[in-house]
Amino acid sequence: MNIRFIGAMAWYYGLKTIIRGPSYLIASLATPLTLLFLVYVLSHGLLVKFAIVGGLIAFIGSIGLSGAGDAAFFRLQLRMQELYVATDIRASDYMIALTLSYLVFAIPGIVLYTYMGTIYHLFTLYNVLGMILIMVFLIITTTSISFIISGSINHLRNIWGITAILTIITSILPPTFYPYYYVPNAFLYIISLSPTTPAAVLAQGIFNLAPFQMNMVYIFIAEVVVYGLLARFFVKWQSNR
Amino acid sequence: MIDIRGISKIYGKNKVAVNNINCRIDSGISTIIGKNGAGKTTLLRILSTQLKPSSGDAFIDNLSIIRDVEKVRKKIVSIPQESSPIGILTSYEQVFMYLTARGFSFKSAKDEALNALKIVNLYDDRNKPTDELSGGMKRKMFVAMALASNAENIFLDEPTTGLDPISRMETWSAIKMLNGNVILTTHYMEEARELSQKIYMINDGSIINSGTYDKLLYPYRNKIRVESYSKLDNSYNIGNIYIKYINSDEIGKYNSEYNVIKRITIEDLFIMRGVDIEY
Repeated sequence: MNIRFIGAMAWYYGLKTIIRGPSYLIASLATPLTLLFLVYVLSHGLLVKFAIVGGLIAFIGSIGLSGAGDAAFFRLQLRMQELYVATDIRASDYMIALTLSYLVFAIPGIVLYTYMGTIYHLFTLYNVLGMILIMVFLIITTTSISFIISGSINHLRNIWGITAILTIITSILPPTFYPYYYVPNAFLYIISLSPTTPAAVLAQGIFNLAPFQMNMVYIFIAEVVVYGLLARFFVKWQSNR
Repeated sequence: MIDIRGISKIYGKNKVAVNNINCRIDSGISTIIGKNGAGKTTLLRILSTQLKPSSGDAFIDNLSIIRDVEKVRKKIVSIPQESSPIGILTSYEQVFMYLTARGFSFKSAKDEALNALKIVNLYDDRNKPTDELSGGMKRKMFVAMALASNAENIFLDEPTTGLDPISRMETWSAIKMLNGNVILTTHYMEEARELSQKIYMINDGSIINSGTYDKLLYPYRNKIRVESYSKLDNSYNIGNIYIKYINSDEIGKYNSEYNVIKRITIEDLFIMRGVDIEY
């Protein structure tokens, strides 16, 4: 593993992008914050804790999924992936570097949600550690899905549309902004294909907003492995075409 | 030294992109020249281990591009066709990042990146996001990557495509600073003449001729090209132009205001072979 490259990429593409392109960060935060406002107004503040925890998950998920556009743009338009194939790094280094840069890019949003969570006295040491783990799993799975999508396409024209649709589906449909027990169990398992579902269900459990669901831990771990392996296959480091 | 042995690439059942290429490419700048779709990029992608060949092998400093992929990658730099920098990052950041990917420490990546940017005249603009740089400056950033990496084998796929004449000359001057074994592809005849010590002419996936610029043109030293919009006997028709090759002592017959007389270039070697040059 090339730690130096991963660190440099995370620093430059994660941190410097916040400074030079803050509009991307604001755009990523716009939907979850709007929904937080709506949930607050419509539930008269009753479900606001769900919306804070879920908003953070939707935000991280959307950052990870927007990586599909980036990864496709880097591969097809900038030809960056081809440039890096002929170096010491492996596909996994490239994927980890991009994933970490998204996590770094998400820091201001995480800070904002942490501040809101503090106002509502949401945090304990136990649930903060749990939430960090959930965020790491979530960024890995959503970025993996991004690599799967970006590796499956041969031209750019649909990627931004696909990313926007996926972001909406994975942030609104799963129980990110509402209690997971509002939906039937069967439906919950169907939408568990989206990593934001196990993330939201587990977060609601560790924040004592709803009963903890152990089976979602297994689903989430399985998604990290399956989506991660599929992404490694789809990234096309050396191809036949 | 690059030793290519029987490399072929066939897509599907019978779409031949590269057809049994055998050649040895020695140190210095070599150019693979051919029209669009001739197989230049496919060959370069195979040599830079991005694409698996259908058959054959190539050896870069005696390492197989099929069996020793990881070792080969340490010895090469490959700048893809129409590659562009990440616009939001500066040229320094991108050269630095690239060098860390090649295994440089942070300190040596910083030193080498700054030094290379000085050499290609990008030092003063090193802290500008690259979307503020001209096309030529962006290409020079990639040349700086190759320069700083100290790789022994550098592949440049159409490094000046789409650039204006000034940017192209800037990029040429940067390419001339590269050390080691440089292989570039182009469809610009003047680029091949300007840069390369040896030229490989490629068409339909096969090398059809190779040699220095002077050696390739030597057999035609007494020939002259005549262009006309009117049909000429025994001429080649490209677009709406008729091209005929005559001995220089026949020039009097064709010296009229309707004809254009030109010296023979590499382009003419393709035309004489019946290659349908885009004109």
